[in-house]
Amino acid sequence: MAPLLLCVPLCVLLLVLLGWPLVHLLNQSLLMTDAPTARITLHNYLEIATVPRYRHALFWSLELSLAVAVGSTIICLAPAWLFTRYQFRGKRLMRGILILPMTFAGMIVGFLMIILLGRTGFIPQLLERLTGHPFLSGVGYQFPGLILAYLYFEIPRATLTLESALRKLDGRLEQAARSLGANRWQVLRMVVLPVIRPALISTFAVTFSVSLGSFGVLLVLSIKRFTLLPLEIFTQYIAPPTNQGIAAAMSLTLLAVAFGTGYGLRRVARRMEGTNA
Amino acid sequence: MKLGPILVLVSAFLAMIVGPAFAEKTVIQYDCIPNYANWGAVTKAYQKKTGILVPPDMKGSSASMAALEAEGKSPKADCAYYSGAIGFQAASKGLHEPYKPKGWEKIPAALKDPNGTWWTVHTGHVAILVNTSALKGKPVPRSFADLLKPIYRGMIVYDDPRIHGTGFTFVSGINAILGGGQDLKAGFDYLRKLDGNILKYAKENSYNELLRGEVPIWVNADGNGLKAKYVDKAPVEIVIPAEGTVTMPLVMGLVKGAPHKEEAKKYLDWLLTDEAQHIMAESFFQPVIPVKLDASLQAKYPPKSAYAKAKVLPLDKLAAQADGIKKRWEKEIEGGR
Repeated sequence: MAPLLLCVPLCVLLLVLLGWPLVHLLNQSLLMTDAPTARITLHNYLEIATVPRYRHALFWSLELSLAVAVGSTIICLAPAWLFTRYQFRGKRLMRGILILPMTFAGMIVGFLMIILLGRTGFIPQLLERLTGHPFLSGVGYQFPGLILAYLYFEIPRATLTLESALRKLDGRLEQAARSLGANRWQVLRMVVLPVIRPALISTFAVTFSVSLGSFGVLLVLSIKRFTLLPLEIFTQYIAPPTNQGIAAAMSLTLLAVAFGTGYGLRRVARRMEGTNA
Repeated sequence: MKLGPILVLVSAFLAMIVGPAFAEKTVIQYDCIPNYANWGAVTKAYQKKTGILVPPDMKGSSASMAALEAEGKSPKADCAYYSGAIGFQAASKGLHEPYKPKGWEKIPAALKDPNGTWWTVHTGHVAILVNTSALKGKPVPRSFADLLKPIYRGMIVYDDPRIHGTGFTFVSGINAILGGGQDLKAGFDYLRKLDGNILKYAKENSYNELLRGEVPIWVNADGNGLKAKYVDKAPVEIVIPAEGTVTMPLVMGLVKGAPHKEEAKKYLDWLLTDEAQHIMAESFFQPVIPVKLDASLQAKYPPKSAYAKAKVLPLDKLAAQADGIKKRWEKEIEGGR
């Protein structure tokens, strides 16, 4: 009985902070529309598909998040492996440093890109001093800057997520394979990768969902003729003439996509884990 | 768990929640950007004088109006500061309560609403602010036409007109400056050509970027550039474009349903006193109530001849067209809908 009672505060919090706003958003998305009728209508959701700007926002969000999730999962594989398998001095310190990028809001990472790769960024100025020409000046305001910013806060998250999943891997499997004559590559391909596949999928799911929702970076970088769904939602709320109905519809769409892929991938991963065990 | 630590935690938690109620008194002003028109210094002087805090608020004119609309009957702000046309629009939407602060009679009739739903506190002009050392030897642009030259590619920034009032004034006023007609074609053609040289349409205030040279050319209010040059001692040159400029009255209004109404009224009264208007003049925005400026300060302003072609645009017309202009900008310049 006691554990159930202790859960009540969390349930109340979830109801107030998650449940009520979701109902409110659903209400707004179905009723606050430009459509001629005053009844419940899916007009807003259709607008997301038909108006090019919103459609692009959705697709570009999906593409960017996909690219960042794939990139960070691949890049974090080696560091995560190192963390699980090897003991070295300063490991705890490194783990602490890795947590830092995850704590920064998107806008701060955006400013970081400007400081590093803006017109008078640190890197172009260094390159100018070394070679006489400010290479990479202003790159922060273009796609490389955007991707770098996302990777900056996603790679640490991916590394730590994958590391905790890898810790469950039994080292004796690899030792057995080596003793049976497999070389390093074969061990990796035939023993390690199949076992850690579910962990990789979970890591991918986490980084994908987080990237989908992040918009602070683009708010600061303001790349011309580019937009993301969270930024469109923000613009609909803050820049008159505001359209809260469409903003609500876009918010729920974003939520559905993030939740759907995250949950779906996690289930796939768990089923894989089941068969591997 | 021991009782002691639990009590400490609970009381700390309660203090966190209840504490702010006993904090110093505040007046909330939407659009109180410290580096715009030196609101930082103005609010600091007010706090020194009365102990009342007016915290910074980074919302632009349009964002403030959107926030007040969204908050409806229980606004969080007591007053708001806007670029003229947006303030007019906000007042006509019924977001303000009529109030005539002390010194009302001294404000010229053209710069206030007869019922007191909005009034001008100071005036600026659209200008080209240039960080000369960031130009790296390129000539300083002297006109809007100069800004179209390819040598300035990737160097020019102006504020997103959907969020910031000064950006809106520029986007809506450029047509009149270039002698265009009712259809605003001349203005939008110019903005389309300018897009090639634009670094970004800033959603955040770019004052610090101008100081650092990160943004070499910023189209914004002349007063902000003059403050950068004389107060922050940056290598900034203020160019009043050869084609002319737009006089931009900056207005305020008392929010309907303000949470701290009495304190807000006193604050709004104070903003029209000699003391406050003098601080605004020292920050190079023309005070709406004439204030005696000493000669050295007067000399720092650009010469009157530079403003010979300054146009005054009718605020009511601009306010009526505001939504349409923003949508058109979004469609034709920023990337389409």
